[in-house]
Amino acid sequence: MSGGGASPDGLSALVATPLFWLALTVGVFEAFDILSRKSGRHPLCHPVLWTTPVLIGLLWATGTDYAAYKADTFLLSFLLGPSVVGLAVPIWAQRERITRLAVPIALSLTAGAITSIACAVGILSLFGAPRAILASIAPRATTTPVAMAIADQLGGIPALAAVIVLFAGCVGSMSATPLLNAFRFDDYRSRGFALGVSAHGFGAARAFQVNDTAGAFASLGMALNAVMTALLLSLVAIAL
Amino acid sequence: MLSAIFLLLACQLAGEVLHRLTGLALPGSVIGMVLLIGWLALVRRERPTLSAVSAWLTAHLSIMFVPAAVGLMNEGPALERYGLGLAVATAVSTLVTILVTAAVFRWALHRFTPGEVGRRPVAAEPTS
Repeated sequence: MSGGGASPDGLSALVATPLFWLALTVGVFEAFDILSRKSGRHPLCHPVLWTTPVLIGLLWATGTDYAAYKADTFLLSFLLGPSVVGLAVPIWAQRERITRLAVPIALSLTAGAITSIACAVGILSLFGAPRAILASIAPRATTTPVAMAIADQLGGIPALAAVIVLFAGCVGSMSATPLLNAFRFDDYRSRGFALGVSAHGFGAARAFQVNDTAGAFASLGMALNAVMTALLLSLVAIAL
Repeated sequence: MLSAIFLLLACQLAGEVLHRLTGLALPGSVIGMVLLIGWLALVRRERPTLSAVSAWLTAHLSIMFVPAAVGLMNEGPALERYGLGLAVATAVSTLVTILVTAAVFRWALHRFTPGEVGRRPVAAEPTS
């Protein structure tokens, strides 16, 4: 190494610093986020869907392994924890609505959470998937950070859980309107709540596009199902 | 601002402590969320900063799970073997869950809270 100054060695060493991958991740994400806004937030334009393969390509191209990248971008993943805690605020803000409709909310939340887990794990086990893969799909209805935390707890793969949740969000938010119309659900509260329980933040975003009441109930469904699914799966984990 | 951040971190920390002490499989952050609801119920006051901080965090959730999603680069074999199963199971589970949740909600609304039925009648929704 030549001491200091402008040297190509110094520049290539920059690739190995947290600053480089952090800046690149935020930059690539922001670029896709701008495109996503231009598309009117179409589910298939979700920035994570495009940022992830681009970054994987860059890591491959530079011969960087995932462990190093993960350590460098720890600052971003760390924020997931406090963000999940912060979901308490919107739940608390909707307490009047929750108490007024406590019975329908509690019953449909429980039914939805059980259906989601049983259906996903049941079908996937027909494909002969091992436990780590089943544990990654079990929390598929919850918001991504919660799904990742649950999958991790159950011995699943958080990265896989994240991608499954994104896919579920796309499917749910794109098909909910025709599906619910076909079965003649004509109340925005049940429509929104169902979308939030099954398709988390994507569902809530879609519901808000349609109607404010549906949107509020979808956010509520998303937040409550994060707790319900975590609770149910921790009971399953204890039973196993 | 700092007090709101501290409140979030303190709840998360308490959640992690409970998680470790009880061996409960609930993630520490989810326990922290429940603790924060309890705190908000216990100490009632306006909290504009906490609302702003948590709304900012929620609005930027997506970028926070990019580092984890990139971890897929090491999951090639699993995706190749179970990709089809994962796609089918996820799609079917998502659609069935929407229908079951909406059906139970509608049934319970009529059965247990008839006063709420039709409070927000709905016009036909445009399909898009």
